Amino acid sequence: MSNKTKETRRIRKTDYPTTDYERIFHPKAIAILGVSADENGVGFGTGMLRATMAMGYEGTIYPVNPKGGTIYGLEIYRSVEDIPGPVDFAVIAVNARYVPESLETCLKIGVAGVEILSSGFSELGTEEGKELERRIQDIAARGIRVVGPNCFGIYCPASGITLLPGPDLSRETGPVAFVAQSGGMSIDFAHAGKWLGVRFSKMISFGNGADLREAELLHYLARDPETRVISMYIEGIKDGERFFSELAAATSKKPVIVYKGGLSAAGARSVASHTASMGGSRVIWQSILRQAGAVQVNDTEEMAQANLAFAMLPPKAFRGISIVGGGGAIGVTACDTAETYGIEIPALPPELQERIGSVLPKPGSSAINPIDVANPFVGPQALKEVLLGAAQDERIELQIIVSLLFHYKGLARAFGIPITEAAPYKELTQCVRDVIDQTGKPVIAVLPNMTRGTESMDITELIALTRQEYLSRGIPVFDELHDAIRAISHVNNYYGGKIK
Amino acid sequence: MKNEKAAKIIDKALKQGRKTLSEHEAKQVLAAYDIPVTKEVLVGDKTGLEKGLKKIGFPLVMKGCSADIAHKTEKGLIHVDVRTATEAKKAFREILAGMEGFEGGVLLQEMVKGRRELVMGLTRDPQFGPCVMFGLGGIFTEILRDVAFRRAPLEIRDAKEMMQDIKGRKILDAVRGMEAADQKMLVDMLINVGRIGLDFDDIMEIDLNPVIISGSKPVVVDALMVLK
Repeated sequence: MSNKTKETRRIRKTDYPTTDYERIFHPKAIAILGVSADENGVGFGTGMLRATMAMGYEGTIYPVNPKGGTIYGLEIYRSVEDIPGPVDFAVIAVNARYVPESLETCLKIGVAGVEILSSGFSELGTEEGKELERRIQDIAARGIRVVGPNCFGIYCPASGITLLPGPDLSRETGPVAFVAQSGGMSIDFAHAGKWLGVRFSKMISFGNGADLREAELLHYLARDPETRVISMYIEGIKDGERFFSELAAATSKKPVIVYKGGLSAAGARSVASHTASMGGSRVIWQSILRQAGAVQVNDTEEMAQANLAFAMLPPKAFRGISIVGGGGAIGVTACDTAETYGIEIPALPPELQERIGSVLPKPGSSAINPIDVANPFVGPQALKEVLLGAAQDERIELQIIVSLLFHYKGLARAFGIPITEAAPYKELTQCVRDVIDQTGKPVIAVLPNMTRGTESMDITELIALTRQEYLSRGIPVFDELHDAIRAISHVNNYYGGKIK
Repeated sequence: MKNEKAAKIIDKALKQGRKTLSEHEAKQVLAAYDIPVTKEVLVGDKTGLEKGLKKIGFPLVMKGCSADIAHKTEKGLIHVDVRTATEAKKAFREILAGMEGFEGGVLLQEMVKGRRELVMGLTRDPQFGPCVMFGLGGIFTEILRDVAFRRAPLEIRDAKEMMQDIKGRKILDAVRGMEAADQKMLVDMLINVGRIGLDFDDIMEIDLNPVIISGSKPVVVDALMVLK
């Protein structure tokens, strides 16, 4: 992507403090300030201690509470200053009015960064809250980095550092970094990513953003070798110009997916010109994001799907695709959707149609592209032949295989076996993997589920298992064909959509 | 590097405590930034009118011109396709009467011919500062709202992308016997509208509507600049 000129123009000296992000995201030792002296405590501190242990964090954990004692077999230190070894990162979950002094002691013993989970700061809108937050900023400026306050903290699967209240997040590391003010959005995406196949390098929910926030985090993540795809949920930003320049610089290095919340009608602003009345916050934001080269998404599902596509597909645009599936209106709807997103489904040449047609049931099948296999029980080996055949057409740069697995319920019933035995889902996913390896062209799997009622729990299970098999073979999976095609279009727009 | 000519016009209006520039002033600011505007003269009396008619030539457009009057069409202050001196004199009297004592004069303007109308503009976003707009002009601006924005300063690519962003982008091509619009000129105009916004914090909004494509050349036919 030739974003070079843009980047050089916008690069300028930053006044960001030197930060040891390695110690923050991969700490060898952490302190948790504000654990309760009681193992049954329900406070954030104790919750984070339990979650961090459940995640299998391999470093040393130092619980801190002025009362001392022990918790889950760990000694509770009365003060951070009593901790015998170095501490890289600290979780602060004490009452808001004790946060400044806690932070001060962390600074004193050389902690690189903290997350402040406590609330009771500027978000209250009270003078007291704002003053407490200003004190946090003053201390931070003297040499310690702060995530929060009023946040769910950071998540780094590689190190086992987890978000509040996340004991069950994936430890599998991956290319996607996620940044949001919102803790709820972060923990939701962390959980969703686990089964969707979105693997994270790191996640930061920064809450009030008293110190570290969107622009500086973009600056860092753009340079972070563990991160290949950056994803953000934004409500408000602090500094438009800085955000814009960091965003433009980041998109010249790697895709940045932005979900901007709160785009409803701009407040009533009295304006005299047409231009000003046209430029409500929605259209300005959309234009700014486009100008900066960001990938814009409109909801959490689209965000997750775009992340999946960027993380799992090769970094290029896919202009021509083939779609292989069984039955229904797949052909027409696929073409309609693809056209909407500027993607072609070229008709295969006659010799390939003949080759593909020879392995498909007749009548009812069609080998033109979209390829309608006519029957949901066409086996993995035949599907492999179909995909291998279609890949022969050099216009095809990516293939989509749609499997309507719920049809296997009938087969399972007829033979009196569980659906997971009736459907050859493992073989299918391996065949698709073989096709990718032989052709060098990516394949995306689509697993629609029309049957989500309580009587179809076995189908839901089959689809979940199939998804897992695909993902373990590096193949992205989407629920609907439309989702897959839209996600491809995001990839296309990023890698191929720039006007030179 | 502020343009001095433009600065003078803007300072004068600010000193007078005005909230807008007159159309004529706005166009002088535009011209100072190499943005093509209609050939025009501002006249206040009959002698001026006669001289002006000679300078502009027929057919022409006559408009009431005052910083205090924003929407001229609604107030009957625009006479288009004026073809003779007699018509011009009649229009002159009617416009002055219609201005109801507002300070200003009558603008004599070449009549720019072209079927394609565009809009360009500038607004200040509280987060991102001056943002330039491009889109379909004339009555379609508000009806179709087919516009795109970019934050200033604009690069050539930003300006080109804006033109691609609007749904009606084909209007710029060679269609129905019309020449393709001069893209380079449009790019320069958009970049320079952004420069005006960056150079003058006192200009809150700019509306250039319509910008008519005459042959292949875009010309600003009406202009509004709102001050702080």
